Amino acid sequence: MKGKTGIVDTLEERQPYITRKQEKGDIIPLACDNTSLAGAISQRACVYSGARVVLNPVTDAVHLVHGPIGCAGYTWDIRGAKSSGVETNRSSFSTDMKEIDVVFGGEKKLSNAIDELVGIYHPPLVFVYSTCIVGIIGDDLESVCKTASKKHNIPVIPVKSEGFKGNKSDGYKAACDALKQLIVRPEVKKPKEGPEVKKPKINILGDFNVAGDVWLVKPLFEQMGIEVIVSMTGDSTAESISRAAEADLNLVQCSGSMTYLAKWMQQEYGIPYLTVSFFGTEDISIALRKTAEYFDSEEMKKIAEEILETEKNRIMPEISRVRESVKGKKAAIYMGGPAKALTLIKGFAELGMEVVIIGTQTGKKEDYEQISYSVRDGTVIVDDANPLELADLLVKQKADLMVAGVKERFIAYKLGVAFCDFNHDRVMEFEGFDGFVNFAKEVDASINSPVWKAVRQRNLKPETSESERAGVKERASGEPCAKKYKDVAVDPEFLQPNQDVAVESEV
Amino acid sequence: MTKRNYATVNPCVMCQPMGSALAFKGIENTMVLYHGSQGCSTYMRLHLAHHFREPVDIASSSLSEKGAVYGGRENLKKGLRNVINRYSPKVIGVATTCLAETIGDDVPAIIREFKEEEGIGDDPEKDIIIIPVSTPSYGDSHVSGYIKALDAVVRKFAEKPESQESPKKPEGSEKPEIPEDIEIMDYMENMEIMEYTEILEKEKAEENVGEAKSPGMKEAPDAEEAGNGKLNLIPVESLSPADVRELKEILAETAGDHIFLPDISETFDAPLRDELPKIASGGTPLAEITDMPNSRASLGLGVVSTNLAVGYLEASHGVPGHNVPIPIGLSNTDRFFTELVRILGCPVPEKYQKERGRLLDAMVDVHKYLYGVKAAVYGDPDTVFSLTRFMLELGMNPVLVATGSKSRDFGLRIREAFAEIRPDLETMVLDGIDFDTFNDAVKQSKPEILIGNSNGRYIAKACDIPLVRVGLPIHDRVGAQRILTVGYRGAMELLDRITNAILEATDTFTAPVQPDPVADADRVPKVL
Repeated sequence: MKGKTGIVDTLEERQPYITRKQEKGDIIPLACDNTSLAGAISQRACVYSGARVVLNPVTDAVHLVHGPIGCAGYTWDIRGAKSSGVETNRSSFSTDMKEIDVVFGGEKKLSNAIDELVGIYHPPLVFVYSTCIVGIIGDDLESVCKTASKKHNIPVIPVKSEGFKGNKSDGYKAACDALKQLIVRPEVKKPKEGPEVKKPKINILGDFNVAGDVWLVKPLFEQMGIEVIVSMTGDSTAESISRAAEADLNLVQCSGSMTYLAKWMQQEYGIPYLTVSFFGTEDISIALRKTAEYFDSEEMKKIAEEILETEKNRIMPEISRVRESVKGKKAAIYMGGPAKALTLIKGFAELGMEVVIIGTQTGKKEDYEQISYSVRDGTVIVDDANPLELADLLVKQKADLMVAGVKERFIAYKLGVAFCDFNHDRVMEFEGFDGFVNFAKEVDASINSPVWKAVRQRNLKPETSESERAGVKERASGEPCAKKYKDVAVDPEFLQPNQDVAVESEV
Repeated sequence: MTKRNYATVNPCVMCQPMGSALAFKGIENTMVLYHGSQGCSTYMRLHLAHHFREPVDIASSSLSEKGAVYGGRENLKKGLRNVINRYSPKVIGVATTCLAETIGDDVPAIIREFKEEEGIGDDPEKDIIIIPVSTPSYGDSHVSGYIKALDAVVRKFAEKPESQESPKKPEGSEKPEIPEDIEIMDYMENMEIMEYTEILEKEKAEENVGEAKSPGMKEAPDAEEAGNGKLNLIPVESLSPADVRELKEILAETAGDHIFLPDISETFDAPLRDELPKIASGGTPLAEITDMPNSRASLGLGVVSTNLAVGYLEASHGVPGHNVPIPIGLSNTDRFFTELVRILGCPVPEKYQKERGRLLDAMVDVHKYLYGVKAAVYGDPDTVFSLTRFMLELGMNPVLVATGSKSRDFGLRIREAFAEIRPDLETMVLDGIDFDTFNDAVKQSKPEILIGNSNGRYIAKACDIPLVRVGLPIHDRVGAQRILTVGYRGAMELLDRITNAILEATDTFTAPVQPDPVADADRVPKVL
């Protein structure tokens, strides 16, 4: 197989999943979109997790996990997705299946649990996630949910997310299938009389309002005279999702999770979609311009240009400042989905940085082709990487900064590589213009902190020169040695010289 | 609030496989593999990495639909092969998940088959040791997963010579040699027997050696001649790396030779050094685990849950087992040192007498701040038990004492502690709770402070009371791996944290002064 270069030392079966961008136009033969290899320590989670991360930001739903306690426990309030209203989604609901439920079936417990929770929380919507053992013991979620839905007169939607039935991408699909059931067919509108102009409406698909991202994006469209019906699923509600089919256009950001839904909406409701990103000034510009172009409104185009100019002028001083301090640095990207990875390439370019490693958990062939097209020659592209591969790559590609999630953070840190969380754990918005400023500041803080200088010296090996030794002898011999060492330890200048050598030799 | 019978809202426990990882990760050169779907390992890695702020590698057999239907044999073998290939571990702990258990894979049999195929023998010197433990997520909690894994480890290593010498234990030696429902407080009786012999030994040792340091003990006449003279230390719940470090230090300075299982002091709190090892260095050395059946005694930390490993070593290898509370707080630490003295005959080193003195000094300093302060404490049963005793000693009023684990003995032990230290106080004791239930109980009992893991933060915020973070997980603050609670030093740190949290919440000194409306017309502080 071409491209099987053994870029890193890893399992033979993993080699086809790691490649290096060779020449322009050369389509890389990267294996992807498969089940994770046993024992390889994938960074991926399961089908359930895929479904859960997509649906969890639906704020007013009870997200009931039908399974043992672990599945619900580890995903409790995991997304950092903000809500402008209720926060039912931040609680963890589970049927906490026990051995007895596994033996005798959990349908009764599930149906009782739904009744109980609906009685307490009065949610407008319940999602019921199935987990591994539900798929094995064969509880009929569909019928339990149907009955409950009738009884309580609210949608009770089964999410078919048995952990072992595929990979994380299959979970995205299960989530979209659940969302599909919530979208209501709009009534056929009678043409209104008079010159009343219909306000254009859009949905944003694949924005999860992590740290409040959506709130920096929505106003941009509103300024352009566009109504955003719903962002799926960040800060969404059962009600706003139900109105999604009233939109004229879908803007898809997280393509990995939401393209499936967008395609379905196109087929079912004739709503076209555009794939966009709201990260980085370049991608935001494209998103606004494409949207204005779609609606073919001169007024809208004019406003878009005004927004872009004002906002760019506003943030540019800060971006330029950061750019000066980080340009030329090398970045590694490892993301759950390919859309974020792609937009990050551009974001880094805006900061004058170069991407040397790029990988995703769930990218598909087309995604990797696009990624390959967007990165420079020599960049390593990896699918479903594991910790040892990532560590090896960070060292070999001499990365200065890694952008990924919590599990990868400590791999980078242990190697003395800066790290920036673009996952659920961040507390700052990264989308929109202010979000990009936040991102730039975070990159600056990550790379330019003096701790990286400190950690280059991994062991304290004070060396005293001949003259110093003599000096020590000359001084009162009773002086404790430790004091001398202490002085050394606080003098970074002295320690600097032979460290780089040590680091290099490791590489 | 409406009573719930079916739904769990905001769990206060983690699942069994998580407990097994916490145990296995404290063993030298050990990898953990979950036999189940990919998500289990990823989620638990995330949970642990977040808490300890360390890379946590846990393998998975990544069972797919095919594996679920036709059995996970091939996936498990492949997983093992790949882990061995990439990590070269000396031990692999194989914990089952609910999926593997439900499809009914016979994990020990698959491992036997795998070992045959790969030519892996039973020589601990050169062969990889694979330890299966059955930990379905639908059974008990992470606490039982931890206890089971340690038991499996001790058995596996103790069992080893079996192939050479003692054929008396048949293949199915997985059955516990100790009765299922052993009452942990039985140790009291054992203790009395131990007491006399040990005190005699101690006196003799002191006479002989004068300065009865640990080496002196080796010279003391030992009943079991083949013994290694060491002391086994085995907790029933995962302690913090800082706690383990402290206990090891105490043992090194008091008892000398000891074996601490599992030692996560480095594996989950690794220094930033020259290279990133594939498997974190540190952990209990394998040779020491092998040596555990030869120790002179085992000290189990925890009296609420049953310490299976300690029980096994006593029942099958005649290593006397003593269970004491996790040494958090004054009396629990006193008890710990007392037990050390009884078993080993060593005196309490001056260093710890001084620390104890400082703790007493600190307790006197803060007694007025803490007296009668209503507290709610939650977490793992034995940690909560020890914390509760400490709070009672400090004069606090633990109005609500709760654990997420289902435990028969929890309430009993807690009430004993109240009866012993503060019979005048009333309390609410709950086990098997979720945080929603706990929330209701908090509303009812109105504590002024919460003590427990970071999952209580929602309640603390909603009730506007401080939360002192102890236990696992702590995801919203740094330093979880460095939280020290054991020993006199741990007690002091805890006491400082609790007191300062209360002071922070009640401090009126820095609040805006009531302004004089006439004189300070221009400087009226903003109303908060």
